[in-house]
Amino acid sequence: MASANDSKWQKDAADQNFDYMFKLLIIGNSSVGKTSFLFRYADDSFTSAFVSTVGIDFKVKTVFRQDKRVKLQIWDTAGQERYRTITTAYYRGAMGFILMYDVTNEESFNAVMDWCTQIKTYSWDNAQVVLVGNKCDLEDERVVSTERGKQLADQLGLEFFETSAKENINVKAVFERLVDIICDKMSESLDSDPTLINSQTKGTRLTENANTQQGGCQC
Amino acid sequence: MGEISTNSNMDRWTCPNDRQLALRAKLGTGWSVHTNKLASFQRTDHLSMEEQEHIMNVIAKADYLEQVEQERIGRLVEKLENMKKNAMGNGNTQCILCGDEFGLLGANPTRCDDCKNAVCTKCGIDTYNWQKQQLWLCKICSENREVWKRSGAWFFKGIPKYVLPEKKSDHVKFTDQKGQGYSRGSQRGRPVAARPYQGTWGSGRGSIADSNEQESSESSDDEICSMGKHRIGRQGDSESDNISITSSTSGQYYSGHVTKESRSSITSSNYHGGHISATESSRGDEFHDDSDSESATEFSRQGSTRSNKEIPEPIKIKETPDADIDDAFTKYGRNTVNGEDTFDNSPPSSPDSDTSSLGALEFSILYDSVNNALHCTVVRARSLKAMDSNGLSDPYVKLHLLPGASKSNKLRTKTIHKTLNPDWNETLTYYGITEDDMLRKTLRLAVLDEDAFGYDFIGETRVPLKRLKAHQTKHFNVFLEKQLPTEKDDDLLSNDRGKLLLGLRYSTSKQALLVNIIRCANLAACDSNGYSDPYVKLYLKPDRDKKSKFKTAVKKKTLNPEYNEEFIYEIKHNELAKKTLEITVWDRDIGKSNDFVGGVQLGINAKGERLKHWFDTLKNPDHKFERWHILAAELIPEVK
Repeated sequence: MASANDSKWQKDAADQNFDYMFKLLIIGNSSVGKTSFLFRYADDSFTSAFVSTVGIDFKVKTVFRQDKRVKLQIWDTAGQERYRTITTAYYRGAMGFILMYDVTNEESFNAVMDWCTQIKTYSWDNAQVVLVGNKCDLEDERVVSTERGKQLADQLGLEFFETSAKENINVKAVFERLVDIICDKMSESLDSDPTLINSQTKGTRLTENANTQQGGCQC
Repeated sequence: MGEISTNSNMDRWTCPNDRQLALRAKLGTGWSVHTNKLASFQRTDHLSMEEQEHIMNVIAKADYLEQVEQERIGRLVEKLENMKKNAMGNGNTQCILCGDEFGLLGANPTRCDDCKNAVCTKCGIDTYNWQKQQLWLCKICSENREVWKRSGAWFFKGIPKYVLPEKKSDHVKFTDQKGQGYSRGSQRGRPVAARPYQGTWGSGRGSIADSNEQESSESSDDEICSMGKHRIGRQGDSESDNISITSSTSGQYYSGHVTKESRSSITSSNYHGGHISATESSRGDEFHDDSDSESATEFSRQGSTRSNKEIPEPIKIKETPDADIDDAFTKYGRNTVNGEDTFDNSPPSSPDSDTSSLGALEFSILYDSVNNALHCTVVRARSLKAMDSNGLSDPYVKLHLLPGASKSNKLRTKTIHKTLNPDWNETLTYYGITEDDMLRKTLRLAVLDEDAFGYDFIGETRVPLKRLKAHQTKHFNVFLEKQLPTEKDDDLLSNDRGKLLLGLRYSTSKQALLVNIIRCANLAACDSNGYSDPYVKLYLKPDRDKKSKFKTAVKKKTLNPEYNEEFIYEIKHNELAKKTLEITVWDRDIGKSNDFVGGVQLGINAKGERLKHWFDTLKNPDHKFERWHILAAELIPEVK
């Protein structure tokens, strides 16, 4: 790894100027464009050369949404089966998933269900998922229509986007939407179950202190 | 790298490539394939060294990020704690925060919607929930919500692991009602707390991330738990020495909220028997169902020395049982080499009165000298000793050709669950067994009880192959014997990868460790010409920015290279004690990935000669110590 890269990334990593940290994971069949998608978003770069991702990688990017700075740690996973044990290990920490298929590749679309199952199996249960059909610039080679994508997304209860990492279509929108969904989920989960905080923290040092100090606390 | 069509299909098996076959042919021990169970070869898709290195790099990066994140959460938690500490009122007649009395003249009490305590208007916050309903919160609860949002606790339903800021290092360790310990004394002297939530990044079923997060004392604790007997001794060894870098830490072990505490060394050299390899996941050997959890251990690597990571699932800290069997086998292998083969005296067919309770094993062996194949049919076992609490066992038979510790000469049957009288009727075949092998090798059959967390040893039997006649099936029905005790001696590595002459000296004047790579001998041949192009890599770990990496020159086409190269690590003496020196020998290949020949690690978690060499060097500064070290075949150098 080049040291210049190192220092840049260390700066990114050490950057504490943010409110929330979300961990996102991009999954989908091999060669659907996960890495390109991430590079487009994080570095605004694109190359059509196909380099298969080795296992896992991630990038860090801070975005400003809903008056909050959100630091995103975006994990790019290898689509190849041989890395599956490694990649699935990272599902558990992900708050959001970008499930990607390639609109010019029927097989990758057919695999969406399987990927959903993977998410259900390995992820934390309130993880948010967005379905993305990538390479929508290749209209001539398209084999999966927008309608079919939308239909599947509805069926799975996911939000749906068609994107192109190459032409930079909808890339930012996907991430922003996912961040919004997670933000909403965050407010909702705290407000809908405020007892969660208190009941869950009971027994930790947080409320242990509180209990001793506040005496009459009913919570 | 293109799309390599690897064997994702469960029932396909591809023949190894020519190069692999050529290499295998050179293995003195022969190699083996299940004839009737090729499915176990499904996972031939090893990760190459480059891939592993790449992944390790990513993990190291993620680790760093995780650490920064934990510190951030620590600060959030600390701020909240301080708020709570500074709360002055009783929350009933007084404002919970400022302690102002409510009453006729005082402020109006309002109840906080979260904690229901009375708060004055100054100390409360008027806010909205997500449905835009009005919410009145005291500042503590408001802050608490904020912490839950910012830390990600809302998602994982609990505050993630965090590291409190430095100044609080004198915090007492305390344990809450659930019995989770908060550990103090990570290397930085920081208090460390963790909640039993399992949603840390990369946790889950055996992630590389969190296994590499299990560092320092915690990992050793837990490995000791799962390993039991073998590790404790080792741990003890490293502690008994004078190098005073041990500290009391507590590791959290989330099995039933048990807090495990133990003294353990702070350095996190958790190299256990070479099973850190990422390629291990490709073995279909032992845990077909647990590949995930296995990969967890595999990826655990020596790393930073902070013990602030929790272990989300205790099951992951499983040591690959092969390690122990390997140990035993290698040990035995050396015994036979040394002419201490006791099995000639006790024919396998004679029951041993002491151990007849272990059960009996029926099998047959056939040597096919034309195809150089040794077929062993494991028929059945009867009256096995019950190992599980249900009064039954889950037996399988593991075959090992001795001497030799290579994985290539291990075979196993499938597991028959919940029985003491299993019928396997499985034929396992070793290929590449020469007549010479038949004269000097011994087949060991071990009956093991498969457990969710490893295995139990039931019994074993051994057949010196020289008893067999070619092309004659020989039937055996023998009582199992106890496991051969492994000696205290810990040098359990076989000598098939070669050895390395290493000179070490700690120079007090230079404040540096001088590492002298002198020569290697009898290196394993990695190239098809029967030689290797070896070079030696050095690494002083843990080391985040890889400054400690050194390499010798490449010596062409030799198995006995002489280097005489000296490398200098400028490091304080007390710092050095916490480090591990990893030396690996590689075969330089042009155009493909370099082959790993063997490696050796010296540090306080090393054993035997390696440990002694390390200690001698540390204890006697300005003295040069030259020792030969046997290279381990399975040491996968760890990349940070």
